[in-house]
Amino acid sequence: MQEDSLYKIAENWFEDQGWHPFPFQRKTWAAFLKGKHGLLNAPTGSGKTYALWFPIVLNYIRDNPDYKERHKKGLKAVWITPLRALSQEIKQSAERVTRDLGTSLTVGIRTGDTTTRERAQQRKIMPDLLITTPESLQLLLATKGYASIFKDCTAIVIDEWHELLGTKRGVQVELGLSRLKTISPKLRIWGISATIGNLEQARQVLLGPESVAYHRSVLIKADLKKKITVRSIIPKEMETFPWRGHLGIRLLDEVIPILKSSKTTLLFTNTRSQCEIWFQKILERYPEFAGEIAMHHGSIDKDTRLWVEQAIRNESLTAVVCTSSLDLGVDFAPVETVIQIGGPKGVARFFQRAGRSGHRPGQESVIYFLPTHAIELIEASALQKALRTQTVEDRMPYLNSFDVLVQYLITLAVSDGFHPDQIYPEIAQTFCYQGMSEEQWHWLLNFIVLGSQSLQSYDEYKKVDVDDTGLLKVTNRGIAMRHRFQIGTIVGDANLSVRYQKGGYIGSIEEWFISKLNPGDVFTFAGKNLEFIRIREMQVLVRKSRKRTNKIPSWMGGRLTLSSEMSKLLREELYTANAASSNQSLEIASLEHIFKQQKRESIVPNPDQFLIESFQTSEGYHHILYPFEGRFVHEAMGSLLGYRISLLQPITFSLAFNDYGFELLSDKEVDISAVIDNNLFTTDYLLEDLQKSLNATEMARRRFRDIAVISGLVFSGYPKKGIKMKHLQSSSQLLFDVFRDYEPDHLLFQQAFRETFEHQLEEGRLRLAMERIAGQEIVWKKCKQPTPFSFPIITDRLSRERLSSEPMEDRIRRMAARLMKK
Amino acid sequence: MNYSLTIEDQKFLLHPSGALFWPKKKMLLISDVHLGKVTHFRKFGAAVPPSLIQKNFELLDMVMDEFTPSHLCFLGDLFHSNINSEWQLFENWVGSKSGTFTLVTGNHDIISPLKYESLGIVSREEYVIENFYFTHVPTKKSGMFNISGHIHPAVRLSGKGRQSLKLPCFFKSPDQMILPAFGKFTGTHILPVKSDNEIFACTRTEVLKI
Repeated sequence: MQEDSLYKIAENWFEDQGWHPFPFQRKTWAAFLKGKHGLLNAPTGSGKTYALWFPIVLNYIRDNPDYKERHKKGLKAVWITPLRALSQEIKQSAERVTRDLGTSLTVGIRTGDTTTRERAQQRKIMPDLLITTPESLQLLLATKGYASIFKDCTAIVIDEWHELLGTKRGVQVELGLSRLKTISPKLRIWGISATIGNLEQARQVLLGPESVAYHRSVLIKADLKKKITVRSIIPKEMETFPWRGHLGIRLLDEVIPILKSSKTTLLFTNTRSQCEIWFQKILERYPEFAGEIAMHHGSIDKDTRLWVEQAIRNESLTAVVCTSSLDLGVDFAPVETVIQIGGPKGVARFFQRAGRSGHRPGQESVIYFLPTHAIELIEASALQKALRTQTVEDRMPYLNSFDVLVQYLITLAVSDGFHPDQIYPEIAQTFCYQGMSEEQWHWLLNFIVLGSQSLQSYDEYKKVDVDDTGLLKVTNRGIAMRHRFQIGTIVGDANLSVRYQKGGYIGSIEEWFISKLNPGDVFTFAGKNLEFIRIREMQVLVRKSRKRTNKIPSWMGGRLTLSSEMSKLLREELYTANAASSNQSLEIASLEHIFKQQKRESIVPNPDQFLIESFQTSEGYHHILYPFEGRFVHEAMGSLLGYRISLLQPITFSLAFNDYGFELLSDKEVDISAVIDNNLFTTDYLLEDLQKSLNATEMARRRFRDIAVISGLVFSGYPKKGIKMKHLQSSSQLLFDVFRDYEPDHLLFQQAFRETFEHQLEEGRLRLAMERIAGQEIVWKKCKQPTPFSFPIITDRLSRERLSSEPMEDRIRRMAARLMKK
Repeated sequence: MNYSLTIEDQKFLLHPSGALFWPKKKMLLISDVHLGKVTHFRKFGAAVPPSLIQKNFELLDMVMDEFTPSHLCFLGDLFHSNINSEWQLFENWVGSKSGTFTLVTGNHDIISPLKYESLGIVSREEYVIENFYFTHVPTKKSGMFNISGHIHPAVRLSGKGRQSLKLPCFFKSPDQMILPAFGKFTGTHILPVKSDNEIFACTRTEVLKI
């Protein structure tokens, strides 16, 4: 069939719906049908699914002119989504296309929610179009004879690629694609990404930097201009508005008129606990909203989430309090207004959330910004500037994630086995492993076969065997089974499912929260007050309670930080505090009394000043430094400076950070003039000192946790199966100590440090920041009490880092006197 | 550095490794070594560093050399699992030492007592010497002072400036002492401290009374 007549089919369909294809949709169809790979840059709700489902189906029609009479079975295309909650939506749009174009193509879903029976059926006959997640794709590669499943596959689409890009699940996708390129000769690889700073790199990561696929690929931008209006909710009584906090409940009353005057409003919160609290508080104060508002976050049971999503479409809800769980996919036309509670910490995320409202092309998007504490208004002001200047941050891809590679290699060994010489070139082509050396590759092979770098007598290590032909294969059924369970655990903490004692699944919750509860305690979850009864086999048993509680589960989740672009905007906004009020934004002007208070004790720095404050409280000596460079740079600078000071005197620090500055807290006073005199802000020996400071803190240790789980060093048990494997459980903490003491050059141990460096501390950004500071005058203020700027930092109790240069015995002797006896 | 402590008029030495020495009886007490655990993990595909296996034996040698006991008593969880290749190493180790050996069995000790017997090690569920009552799981008995293991006790210390430390410890109450785990591949469990407890924390080189 000619291409023209193929397009005609698509055009006619659009006409039937009363729509017009966008130029980006046409471009994507054409590129796909020419056999190209590509990255499509299009926002949610722009019709991106039709940009790719259409050419996939049209291509099938072209290859099978008798498609109306005969149906050739077997997998033809795979659609990867990072959130399984989105799969229903994608399936519906696919089915619309396949049905309306008169094909008999079947559409199926395969995710963690798919029943064993369905899976077994799929193994016999794959659906023509398969919607799945990165983990489930990996699991398919762990099935025997997987190559025959994919042999006629013509397309794989990675949806929301920007969400996967800077994560290890993204690496998992890179590896999966490297295999599919070989076993599916007709494959086209397409990514769909929202706007990020490094789109061009996103395409390289997807396709492999120097690969044939990359050279045969295109980048298509939807370029849909959209008008976004940001409105800050400025407290009427600014004087009593708190200096710190993260909930924003104080402004609840201001939100109500917005909800009442708009059709459907989404309230985005930053954490699930914040989401729970807002939902609860709105109902408490405005009971008339009962039945009209709902809650949506990742830990709520799937059916409830689907119900909420459907209710948004039906316009039967006034408002939904949600988290990033509603950031992706799902097209909600009726949403009129969006409220962001607390700083979104990223411009791209903020834009995307804003875009949730006024979803139809041409409509204006309105987003309200609700500050949770006073200083956050500066952020609101900076966000508006970012909007005007179109500043968007990068998503940084991972390099040499050996943990994910170990998992992948064992996956291949579990299914059909592999020959290293055949697999190596595929892996070396990926972005993640482009810099992997041959030594490292051999190290990894030794690791999975021998469990160490040399064969030891008496060793009984068992994982991957090598047969006579040099094929690496897992022969032990137990190991294969445990590995398959482990594949899904690439993300996050240990989760327990929450159930009523009499049955009924409510959601899942992180283990560390439950571990703090005693039987009889009441906590709020999924909008309900629940009494904790006990834990049985990975399940938290609860019953409904009438008691009131202030215990609300919090989820650690990924902490977000400001990008360097956003930090710069933030600094610039702050400096306007010293400017004439005519040059100030509404937000900055409203903060006047805070700045006054700040100036009473200290200063609001000018662009040429670097502010350091010190003061004493009952907790000890606080030293606060304000680079205004975003949390990650502060983490790096804090541990660097802490380390350098600890060389001057034996001292122990507790470090806290936020996006504005960092704190060095100690039981001893630090002489800041000595810090300045000894030139501790120098960029000389930056890398060496930073590395040494890492050994002194716990950052790498925390990174190691995921690495140990992903690479199979620790076994996390069988999720949801409730099968305990106690004799095989050890903590990643213990393993970290063991590697540190006995095998410090272990690649997986080293990876924890490298990742901290590359993904957390951002050495490059640190250097730039230090160079900027070198040109500033350091202003040291000794204050009598905490300043407004310092308040959000010193009250951070959760995420503190520790660093010490004192002999442990000395510290113990000092602490011994304080041991609390009950 | 050892810590010297008098319990029930008897002098005891607390070693940073977690071993407890009773000079009058020339008796060394060690709890929760968990031999075989590394190999057990490796057999099931978890690549714990194999160099750790030797480390347990080096530590055992070190305390044996320091105290030269005539009687070594393990307070349970000597071997983590059923027999694996580390048993052979243990056999060789026992063969190289002189003196009497006793194992007060713990929940992990599932290897047949006959195997221990063949090495000259007496297995028993509990052990009484004078008014001292030795068990694996902490068990009080009236008129007796109980010495046990099982818990892998640790203590959480906190100080000014939001400092905190977690350390393995000897955990003593008026009529009981729980030993820290001796094995290198074992975790710890933080115990709440009551007013009549005495805590002896272990650093790498010292035992410090808290």
